[in-house]
Amino acid sequence: MICAVWVVFLAACSRGEQTKALYAQRCVSCHGALGRGDGPIAALLPAAVPDFRLTVEQKNVVEIRKAIVAGKGMMPAFGPALSQVEIQDMVRAVRLLSREGRRAEWWEKFEPIVYAHCSLPWEYVLGYGPPDGDAKK
Amino acid sequence: MRKSNQSRGFFLALLTIFAFSVASAPESSAQAPRPGEKGASRQELRLPISDFSLTDQLGRPFHFQSLKGRVILLSFVYTSCPDVCPLITANALSAQRALRAGEKPFVFFLTVTTDPEVDTPAVLRAYASRFGVDFSNWALLTGEIPALLPVWKAFGVKVKWKARGLVEHTPLTAIVDRQGILRVVYIGSSPAPDLILRDIRALLSNSPPAGRPKT
Repeated sequence: MICAVWVVFLAACSRGEQTKALYAQRCVSCHGALGRGDGPIAALLPAAVPDFRLTVEQKNVVEIRKAIVAGKGMMPAFGPALSQVEIQDMVRAVRLLSREGRRAEWWEKFEPIVYAHCSLPWEYVLGYGPPDGDAKK
Repeated sequence: MRKSNQSRGFFLALLTIFAFSVASAPESSAQAPRPGEKGASRQELRLPISDFSLTDQLGRPFHFQSLKGRVILLSFVYTSCPDVCPLITANALSAQRALRAGEKPFVFFLTVTTDPEVDTPAVLRAYASRFGVDFSNWALLTGEIPALLPVWKAFGVKVKWKARGLVEHTPLTAIVDRQGILRVVYIGSSPAPDLILRDIRALLSNSPPAGRPKT
């Protein structure tokens, strides 16, 4: 039992590092380190980059994934470039950043364990099926 | 005496650092943006570009030669680029939108991918649609690596693959005149649209019109 918990904990840590690297590579330049829309090139863009606390926080996982997979306006579509697991890591990263400054609900605290334990997104686990246009992979 | 030697050594070290910084200055200033160029250096040149064939956003063959008679704004980007490419495309788009009705048939916009593994015709089409590109005088090109390599080389674009969907490349935007000669190159994230327009208009007025090109 202790071993199983330890394995899940290690997997969660490893995924956490990968997620940080992924966010740093693909998102920081526009969204900024804390997802506040203040990345190094944000000021050069013709459109304002949103603050995750005002946008992502209002959206469900399917909507967030759709924006990451298919892109939105000037934001690149990462669907053709990244794996399902990487997309899921990105969803998780932006959701965590969108919660900055507020107390997480009790069920939100279990997300990292679910993500580490089974590499399936929440809506699969809860039985909602794949989002539109994301069934090809 | 020993103290004097130490201070002399320190002075020599400072002198060496200064000499190195002076020696490297011309290269860095060549890359530095000029005032009003918003993050891109500009260079004028005359370099004939050989014909090449790639695949456009609809999966059709596209021949560079078919654009002879038009001024071409050509940029090198990839669709999942998280930094400079959206800026390059946005600036080219601003230039496209600012063209007058009489200029539009004589100017063409080309986007050449630096990541053909990810950028299929469908992916390029979706990318351009998200930006709101007018496809009447804009094509997005992809192809196999052996077909793209000579194009990248002809324009001096270096491409380095880092991970799937993550490519390091020269952020280059170029203008080719009506005779197919490369005339202006901008290197940097954000060549200003008014500067691009000024150069396009200068080439439109300087080169003799070759009749209305085929659309």
